[in-house]
Amino acid sequence: MTLSRPLVLLVFLLVVAWPGAPVPAQTPAAPTPKYGGVLVTHPLSATPSLSPHEESTVATTQQASPCFNNLIYYDPAKKQESVDTIIPELAERWSWQDGHRNLVFFLRRDVKWHDGKPFTSADVKYTFDGVRGAPDAKAKLKVNPRKLWYENVDAIEAPDPYTVVFRLKKPQPSLLPMLASGYSPVYPAHVPLAEFKNKCIGTGPFKLKENKPGEYVEYVKNPDYFIKGRPYLDGIKFIVIRDRSTQIAAVQSGQLDVAGTGWNRTNAEDAKGGAPKLVVVETDSNVNDNILINFKKPPFNDRRIRQAINLALDRKAYLVGPRQGAATFGGALLPRPAGVWGLPVAEVAKLAGMGDPAKQKAEARKLLAEAGYGPSNPLKFTLSTRALPIYVDTASWMVDQLQQVGIETTLEQIETGVWHPKMTRLEYSVALNLTGIGIDDPDAQLFENYRCGSQRNFSGYCSEEIDRLMVEQSQTTDPKKRLALVNEIDRKLQADGARPILGWGKQHWVLWPHVKNWVTHENSIYNISRRQDVWLDK
Amino acid sequence: MRVYVFKRLVIAGVTLLGMSMLIFVLMRLAPGNITDMIFESAGYVDEADRRKLEAELGIDKPVPIQYVRWLGELLSGDLGKSYRYDLPAWEVIKPRLPVSLELAVLALGFSVLLGVPAGVISAVRRGRPLDYVLRVLSLAGLSMPSFWLGMIVILLLVRSLGMIPSMTYVSPFDNLGANLFQFLLPGLAVGYRSSALIMRITRSTMLEVLREDYIRTAWAKGQRETLVVWRHALKNASLPVVTLIGIEFAFLIGGLIVTETVFNLPGVARYLVDAIQVRDYPIVQNLVMLIAVVVVMANLTVDLLYTWLDPRIKYGKA
Repeated sequence: MTLSRPLVLLVFLLVVAWPGAPVPAQTPAAPTPKYGGVLVTHPLSATPSLSPHEESTVATTQQASPCFNNLIYYDPAKKQESVDTIIPELAERWSWQDGHRNLVFFLRRDVKWHDGKPFTSADVKYTFDGVRGAPDAKAKLKVNPRKLWYENVDAIEAPDPYTVVFRLKKPQPSLLPMLASGYSPVYPAHVPLAEFKNKCIGTGPFKLKENKPGEYVEYVKNPDYFIKGRPYLDGIKFIVIRDRSTQIAAVQSGQLDVAGTGWNRTNAEDAKGGAPKLVVVETDSNVNDNILINFKKPPFNDRRIRQAINLALDRKAYLVGPRQGAATFGGALLPRPAGVWGLPVAEVAKLAGMGDPAKQKAEARKLLAEAGYGPSNPLKFTLSTRALPIYVDTASWMVDQLQQVGIETTLEQIETGVWHPKMTRLEYSVALNLTGIGIDDPDAQLFENYRCGSQRNFSGYCSEEIDRLMVEQSQTTDPKKRLALVNEIDRKLQADGARPILGWGKQHWVLWPHVKNWVTHENSIYNISRRQDVWLDK
Repeated sequence: MRVYVFKRLVIAGVTLLGMSMLIFVLMRLAPGNITDMIFESAGYVDEADRRKLEAELGIDKPVPIQYVRWLGELLSGDLGKSYRYDLPAWEVIKPRLPVSLELAVLALGFSVLLGVPAGVISAVRRGRPLDYVLRVLSLAGLSMPSFWLGMIVILLLVRSLGMIPSMTYVSPFDNLGANLFQFLLPGLAVGYRSSALIMRITRSTMLEVLREDYIRTAWAKGQRETLVVWRHALKNASLPVVTLIGIEFAFLIGGLIVTETVFNLPGVARYLVDAIQVRDYPIVQNLVMLIAVVVVMANLTVDLLYTWLDPRIKYGKA
């Protein structure tokens, strides 16, 4: 039986018009951003300078990124950074050529530096010739922590004022993500490098208003910013507040709009407890706790000792204890789903330290016994760590874990200023370390921390096979093949105990509801601080 | 008197010279130097670059040569450059001085205004309930670290009023009200502890003086209590109190590190600790010398005050 048209129409009208009839869900319109206001927040610490190319702390990218632009950047709106989320900034578009051996950027023509001078390709060449340490570079960096990133760049050409060509020795897809990093802004060729110690001339959405070293850095809106309608804010102010409880009080009282850099979950909960309207944001980060085992120092060159140490550290207890439930597990690359290159979840579950703690500790004792250590001859060493609470908490937990397998350790707290020098010189036995990776990229992570002879290879680990695989994956342009190679490297690194990863910590932010578009990325903390889209709803 | 003052200044000079050597050597005994710190912030160390940087900063020279060069510059008024910020040291130190000075003066002011009257009242009302209350309060002041008290104050302020003092320094010339709100609380927190010491010393010396014959005579002559206590007894009891005030002030300038950190005041003490941690030699050396000068001058001032407080004390005569 078919229904007549009038009847169908009648039924339709009854359904639609009936009180309480279901109404199709409507997506609420996104609020219209408002212009104005100064956002106040605190950085991780005072920045040693406003020159990201010469620093390795997120404190610098936080406080300098509003001033600068890159050729390309990671889209702030996309939570996971990858090569697919890279957007243009100073470059309008780019093109890989000659089988990923040449990377050509076509630059915007409407960009001015904050002092009014025009931006051209000469600035790009100046910047990256300096960073890669070209013999004829005009910019000489005092320290150059990411020179390694650009060692494959053979030459940089600026054939005209709005074209730049990076010529590579070998194909390297990772060059693009590296250039998108918060550590890779473009500097003006006409401003001496020394000025970036305390000043900033960039092309970015904000101009430096005042820098009081150790106190605050303040920016005002750049009215000539090349992205019309941005930024929304009139300014940003980063106030250095050293004491954690003072940071919490400052955000609760409303003196800070956003807080949380360097916080753990408890800090965020404490802040919200005193000001319930605060919004807490917790996401993954690209920062891991790792164990440095000195490969050059007996008995740690014995694989059994390294494995025993790794097995003794129960990762679930690490999650509950030092990390208060806010961490994920993985190998050398940030685990999925937050990370792009991490080992599959099923494999991570089988890594040392992830299994039954009793069984793993028994296995650890067995390995120690095979190496000649036991109750009558316990393995003893000094466990070093940096004298910062976030390090000491985890190191103290480690001491207890190692004691459970009969390893006796003394905790040595090393003053933060001499930490990296001591690690570089391998003046330690075993150390608890934190590493933040600038970008979620295999070249950045692997070459820096695991390649033979790398300055940041603090374990002294060296494997020709791994080095060969690293180079192979670096030149592989097919993403699936590359991922397979990266995972293979990761498996071998974990098996060798190259730098056992305890876990990947989470980041926490606390903000007032009037702060809009304060985004976080789940696989990096370094590439998100341009803040041109942030606005205040007040 | 002039001879005495001259001799004291000469001794002060010798003291300061000794201090300069001590701080110079101590800084260089600490592991690492500024180049280590610079590379630390970069997350790696390149030995070749580091040696080059050391040569640029002049810290590759033997220590005695570095010392003589620094001393020469100091005496000619050149405080050098901050290694960390690459700015003239004076430019970095100058804005921080008024912050610590204001805090120290306020703290001292509170300590005297609270401690001296409390000590006097406690002595005069010895054995009575008020004496016990004041002594308990002074014990609390001695027991509670000033930084902890500061943290509690901030916590109470934010929980009850939803506000705390400004997290950036407000000059009194820009906004006196905001400046006072910013400094009164830390001043009180530090002053409370100092006042406890001053109160106990004042009470102790007042009790001794109140037993003296001339005080008994003054009572017998029918003098008013306020005159006997505040004019006769206190003046004679004040020598040790003034000594203590001088010592407290000297320590305050460099000893406010934790209070400045908790209240986020960009003062000298907090910056000194930062400078030590990054081995910013010019800043550390100059700041410590500054504190040494303050201590020496404070002690000299206290000694000279003695002659006014007790005319029987004369310097420079046999």
